[in-house]
Amino acid sequence: MAEIHLSDAEKTFIIHGVQDNLREDGRGCEDYRHLEIETGLVSNTSGSAKIRLANTEILVGVKAELGEPYPEKPDKGRLEFFVDCSANATPEFEGRGGEELATELSSMLARAYQCPSCLDLRKLSVVEGKQCWIIYVDVLVLEYGGNLFDAASIAVKAALFNTSIPTLTVSHDEGHVEIDLSDDPYDVQRIEVTAAPCIVTLSKLGHSHVVDASSKEEACCLARLMLGVTEKGTVTAMKKEGSGSLDTSSVEDMLQTGRRVGQALNKSLMEVLMSDDKVGKKQHLTGFLR
Amino acid sequence: MAGLELLSEQGFRIDGRKPSELRRIRCKLGVFNQADGSAYIEQGNTKVLAAVYGPHEIRGSRSKILHDRVLVNCQYSMATFSTGERKRRPRGDRKSKEMTMHLQQTFNAAILTNLHPRSQIDIFVEVLQSDGGNYCASVNAATLALIDAGIPMKDYVCACAASYVSDTPIVDINYLEESSGGAELIVATLPKSEQIVFLEQNSRLHEDNLGPVLDLAVKGCKDIHAVLDQAVKDHVAEATAGSSIE
Amino acid sequence: MPADSRRINGPEKSISPYAFSKPCKDIKITEPSLQRKDGRNPDNIRPIFLKTGLITQAQGSAYIEQDGTKVICSVYGPRAVIRKEEFSMQGQLTCDFKFTTFSCHNRRQYQQDAEEKDFSVQLLEALEPAVLLHKFPKAQVNIMVTVLQNDGSVLAASVTCASVALADAGIEMYDLVIGSSARISGATILMDPCATEEYSDKDSAHVNNGSVTVGLMPSLNQISAVTSKGELEFEHLNKAMKHCVSMCVDLYPVCQQALAVAMETRINADPKT
Repeated sequence: MAEIHLSDAEKTFIIHGVQDNLREDGRGCEDYRHLEIETGLVSNTSGSAKIRLANTEILVGVKAELGEPYPEKPDKGRLEFFVDCSANATPEFEGRGGEELATELSSMLARAYQCPSCLDLRKLSVVEGKQCWIIYVDVLVLEYGGNLFDAASIAVKAALFNTSIPTLTVSHDEGHVEIDLSDDPYDVQRIEVTAAPCIVTLSKLGHSHVVDASSKEEACCLARLMLGVTEKGTVTAMKKEGSGSLDTSSVEDMLQTGRRVGQALNKSLMEVLMSDDKVGKKQHLTGFLR
Repeated sequence: MAGLELLSEQGFRIDGRKPSELRRIRCKLGVFNQADGSAYIEQGNTKVLAAVYGPHEIRGSRSKILHDRVLVNCQYSMATFSTGERKRRPRGDRKSKEMTMHLQQTFNAAILTNLHPRSQIDIFVEVLQSDGGNYCASVNAATLALIDAGIPMKDYVCACAASYVSDTPIVDINYLEESSGGAELIVATLPKSEQIVFLEQNSRLHEDNLGPVLDLAVKGCKDIHAVLDQAVKDHVAEATAGSSIE
Repeated sequence: MPADSRRINGPEKSISPYAFSKPCKDIKITEPSLQRKDGRNPDNIRPIFLKTGLITQAQGSAYIEQDGTKVICSVYGPRAVIRKEEFSMQGQLTCDFKFTTFSCHNRRQYQQDAEEKDFSVQLLEALEPAVLLHKFPKAQVNIMVTVLQNDGSVLAASVTCASVALADAGIEMYDLVIGSSARISGATILMDPCATEEYSDKDSAHVNNGSVTVGLMPSLNQISAVTSKGELEFEHLNKAMKHCVSMCVDLYPVCQQALAVAMETRINADPKT
């Protein structure tokens, strides 16, 4: 978040542009910037994805480990989010500087994924009350160019889609439970993510609102509404962020837009992931060597 | 190590390399737009990102100001998913702190620090995937990032590790070779002047063998230098392709 | 709060006995005609007790009680910022939200956990739009919210309580911020849910099962905070928000009265001012 200082004239320019459905980079109010996704980049992980949304760059690594389930949810696996804001993004994140933003992002992600229908955690249970898969979703923010939450949620969904968990066979033997790991590295299970949400952030600029705000636009926006939207158009989490307030009627409008944009986003994301998956391992990964 | 032959009878290493062969290096300068300089390097399966900010005004407490030279500030962190076993936190553990200090020492020796008194240069290194030789890849990535940022240095800093396995010195060791318990020699050099700016040895190595291993590591540094130099030249050529020089 | 090394901690791994209790049957709240456990209709809210000025050292304070939910809030400031880095021409607001260890069904830790940190941020962002920050440059106002007992709708109660405490401290504001929350279960909307009615992800996997909290500035008709949990369809969410907004408007006079009473007693106690 290299600090952005805008003059009042620049702010007025941006806000007036948005009112005429024309943004500083030529987009309309409901357009996303160019988005690049690559999956399966980090071989040490069970699944990974890298996303580049204009200048925002995020790498997500998913690791599946065996562990104990929560005592209050013995029949469910665990999904844990961890966010690290790398100092690469801005020197302000050095040391513990990025922690505040990181906890905000991880709690929003956790909340969006909390509902049982997004991700069936029951499938991740191995031995009820004893063993389950713990899915660690680690989000690494490498560069910050606006709209971090949306980008992170897209990357998380892509990484979870890419995740493969080794198949386990559980055999009960005289009250003794044995867990066997399949020898075949291709004998894996995937995580069903079709119903998983993407976060859509709507930034209020003047009297209108925009999606996918650039860092300049974020600098002149006082209030944002974040929505976790699924493919079906349901809202799994909502949060207002920023130091401003919103008119009651505009909240409704923003919800409408959020749902519309979110559904389209989820749909195109799944299409891309599916077609990418078909190409499989043959595709040439460029990673950071663009 | 039982069952794990680091050097086969035919003289090949566990990943099929010859003893004096480096892993494949792929690198790119200028991966980020916001940082003053940035670079990405892949040495085999070790992948590192580096970003450089500066020289700029001292951030934080004024007491850190050095009146005769620039303050080189480093931070080494590893992505939590970079290692085989998941790391609990990306930095702040003893190993990362040590690595941070080593990087700081290395680059203090290579940057022309007296050119920017009372300022600060930040070098941030992020290991995305770790397969041995983290320090070496970090140094090489940081060098490229510093060059990308246009910070005056005495020379490239190239780092390379070497080990000694069954009477043969081996260069650019990977995680398996590193963790087998054998000796490990890590060297960072200024290749043109052949000066060593950083040297570390872990575990036991016979005095007679130190020479050959060190020579091999230094040669590895020179080979890496050639690769990095080419990458820098390519990057500059690409950057200036549009503009004609009179 | 830093960790207290002298305190004898419990065993490293202990499990609340409630984890082994039989999961209670899905509260049947889908029938619209139904009365709730505590005898309320779905639209009814619990009686509110609101009082200011309990904590005498603080510039402002307030205590709110909604049946079993008890929240106390104190406001300190505006006071000068100590660290030079924090200098700003706008006043700063900080918010500290804490559940007391004994306030919830399960014991809470002394350190702020992720949920409490999340609530702190949400509370701060709910109050920030209401405060005239430019009136106290180079200074900060600290808001401490402590939940003494949690019986649902804590965030909503905290928002109301904190904004009244801010008013009690004499901090200039555009308006009070009133919080309200609702639980959505199918077509039913339960206002001001208590702890057993609140949404948790243990509930069955039906769509339209969740909760909404809204912070409203009634005389400006501006929403300063809105947050939801659980998978909700757009129409239900919107309807629940409308209910919340009207509940906030209903609560507004209660808060105004509490402040008026406080002011009266203050004037009577010291006739000179």
